[in-house]
Amino acid sequence: MDWKRLDSARRNAGPLEVDLIEAYAQKKIRRRDFVKRGTILGLSMPFMGAVIAACGGDDDEGSTGTDAPEGTTGTTAAGGGGGGAAGGSIVVGIQQGDSSTGLDPVNMLDLGTYNVIAQSFEYLVGLGPDGNIAPTALAQQWSPNEAGDVWTFDLRPGVTWQDGSEFTSADVAATMDRLVEVGNAGLDGVIGAGSVDASDPAKAVFTLEEPNGNFPVLVSLFNTQSAITPADYSNGTTLDARPEGTGAWILDSFDASTFSARFRRNPDWWGGQTPLDTTELRGFADIGTAVTAMQSRDIDAIQQFSVIGGEGLLNDGGFTLLTPPSSAHRQVWFNINNPEFESKAVRQALAWSLDRSQMVDTLFAGRAEIGNDHPILSSLPFYDPDAVEQRTRDIDRAKALMAEAGVDSLDVTLQTGDLQDIPDLAAIIQQNAAEAGFNITVNTQSNSTFYEAGWCPELYGVESSDPVALPCESSFTFGIVDYGHRPTPDVFLGSALATGGVWNSSNYSNPEFDARLSDYRQSVDVAGQTEAIGAIQQILWEDVPAVYPYFFNYLSGHDESVSDMQSTALGHTILSQATKA
Amino acid sequence: MLRFTLRRLALSLVTLLILIFVVFMMTWLTPGDTARRLAGPFAPQERVDALNEQLGLQDPFFVQFWNLLVSVVTLDFGESFSSPGVLVVDLVQPALWNSGKLVLLALVLTLPISIIAGVIAARKKDTVVDRSIVTFGLASASIPEFVSGVILQYVIGVRLGWLPAISDVPEGTSLFGEIEYLLLPALAIVAVYFGYIARITRAGTISALDSDYTRTAYMKGLSTTRVMRRHVLRNSLQPTVAVTGTQIGYLFGGLVGLEIVFNYPGLGRLIFRAATTPDFPLLQAGVITVAVIFMLCTLGADLIIAWMNPRARMNLGNE
Repeated sequence: MDWKRLDSARRNAGPLEVDLIEAYAQKKIRRRDFVKRGTILGLSMPFMGAVIAACGGDDDEGSTGTDAPEGTTGTTAAGGGGGGAAGGSIVVGIQQGDSSTGLDPVNMLDLGTYNVIAQSFEYLVGLGPDGNIAPTALAQQWSPNEAGDVWTFDLRPGVTWQDGSEFTSADVAATMDRLVEVGNAGLDGVIGAGSVDASDPAKAVFTLEEPNGNFPVLVSLFNTQSAITPADYSNGTTLDARPEGTGAWILDSFDASTFSARFRRNPDWWGGQTPLDTTELRGFADIGTAVTAMQSRDIDAIQQFSVIGGEGLLNDGGFTLLTPPSSAHRQVWFNINNPEFESKAVRQALAWSLDRSQMVDTLFAGRAEIGNDHPILSSLPFYDPDAVEQRTRDIDRAKALMAEAGVDSLDVTLQTGDLQDIPDLAAIIQQNAAEAGFNITVNTQSNSTFYEAGWCPELYGVESSDPVALPCESSFTFGIVDYGHRPTPDVFLGSALATGGVWNSSNYSNPEFDARLSDYRQSVDVAGQTEAIGAIQQILWEDVPAVYPYFFNYLSGHDESVSDMQSTALGHTILSQATKA
Repeated sequence: MLRFTLRRLALSLVTLLILIFVVFMMTWLTPGDTARRLAGPFAPQERVDALNEQLGLQDPFFVQFWNLLVSVVTLDFGESFSSPGVLVVDLVQPALWNSGKLVLLALVLTLPISIIAGVIAARKKDTVVDRSIVTFGLASASIPEFVSGVILQYVIGVRLGWLPAISDVPEGTSLFGEIEYLLLPALAIVAVYFGYIARITRAGTISALDSDYTRTAYMKGLSTTRVMRRHVLRNSLQPTVAVTGTQIGYLFGGLVGLEIVFNYPGLGRLIFRAATTPDFPLLQAGVITVAVIFMLCTLGADLIIAWMNPRARMNLGNE
């Protein structure tokens, strides 16, 4: 330990940063967690490198600070693929957007649209090479105040919109107001209207409703709707109606009928000239067709595919697999307002009846992590491994809980959308739970119909009988919904489980949970977050408003002739540095 | 013939009117708040209300139906709901053209093969050749086109790499070059329709071969080729023409599965997307387009049959 260098680092840091440095110096957190957390707080890499060097840099990690073993990250290193030359074009097969909102950056809801939008529009906070957030986009650095309720983002100089006008903090302020207006899931309750001070065109100063230690994540590409749009943009405007952005690619054409978008290089992009001349994102209505197209090399890259049906690619020697860090999961919710699942014991019984290992093996060939009925991924720095025991299949316990609830058997319909592994997951739940006394009928429908009909119908215009209704008051009694990757669980907890959350299909409401969630959000140090999250893990494990059976690896990739393409587990394929041999 | 044609045309127009009403009712009765679904769950209510107003979704029943009739007559269905700023006709037209190319290629491949096979089977009735053609036809016709499409796609497109596995034709490809991309889905259609058309042709040919006029023709000393061409085929192909006419309409709008498997931007996929979005103007335009094609093809088939068979022409004209 180099105390002199460490003291020097402490002196140059604010109180939040000092807490983090202390935690790392005392080996309370691992190096990669220090880097992750430091990035969120806005510490520069040289500064963090100095702290790591001062602390000896001798913990259990490798030297790069990346999350995944070699060959399994969300990017291919230069020369790691084909070492392509400048120029040319690549075609990426993407999910056909099923949102009826078109290419609307504020209201989009599907991975296909996320990807198209992110080619032209950028975020305040971008993506680092390790798949976590980094100052690689419109903000070149950021920092919180001591309390963590004011965050200042220094904007990158020399950024222009594709029409030639200058990008300023006024654009950031207007974008945030639009997001507040529509109740953006990531920022709802975090900021209010007029929360951004844009008096300095080069700085965007956010004043939050309450302290939030993860705020930069909420204005990053992991809150996909927070793409920065021009100040004079309006809600409902689509990218094809107004091709615009600060990003590397200019939209040339968009075919709505096939959901295919063609882009050309933005010659004035602040990041320099892209190696490729053009790109095409080609929509596929069926993921199996996209896999076939990738196998036959009719496309150069694929946005996402599943283990089931994707075996051909996984065994394809000429295919480079990308697995960016992922907390993507399925939530099997119980609408606890309905009599079937009013009893906590019944919900627990179903949770104990499930064979999660079977799910991971059958559905993902082991490419997934077993869940424990809360949405906290075990690799997060504040995850508490000792909070609760891991649920495994225990039919006797499940039957005992059913008896405790006074229920011999329960007839219920499990509603699902026809998306990737979900219908198969439903079938496994149906079989597993039968032994504990659940007579489950599975009803699978198209994903968009499923969302509208019963995930959170009030979001889609179903009028509520109660003027102060919960946003998902008339959700299905029992259903499975998909959640994409987020680097922190704020959305999983705040939108899906907090009282009145916009995606709370369980209609779960527990004041203790809400209080602990508030504690977590307001904690700006890892120790405080760990304490709050540990309590949250316990509450959710006990109450079981939903079953979280697994977190699965996000699979993406490209032909070996492509290199330097980066993907995220939220559907982005970043092509600004990509080349093709 | 003119009277017959006008009569059939009038009947087609009545059918079209009924169909337009049915399509309108389908969209009218669709539950839920369409404007909310289009604006997205996060959109403020003011925007949803404005969208309702803008799209005319609050207009009275008859006003909306009248507007649809005007749209059909003027071929102006306005803007697509799912692609603001894009005219519906600009979405339907390329999809219709794409479907037309696929259907044409499939028919060019299917009809000669099936008719020849049907005639051979009839002439070799109850022989191994006949049984082979009938059995193969039954087997291939019993597999849905999207299933045989997947098999062809995997074997020919992926494993052998002889043809593109998907039918997304790159920009700038010549019309002739497009055949390469359309061949696999066309072959999948051939697999289904070969058995169907060959069996109908076989039955018609057997019936014609057994008829008095064929015997008379032979007794007159005409050659087999001449008998087949002038007497047998002219009569035996009438059911084939009728069936082909009705199937073309289906091929234009009903190949949703096949178009999805090959990622082909045809009319079926467009209608499917419009139905699931929902994009009512696009859905209405797509379904009505298919209906018009269906009616035109049926009418065309009737006219060809009438031309081939003067007795049918006289009967139909005097109805």
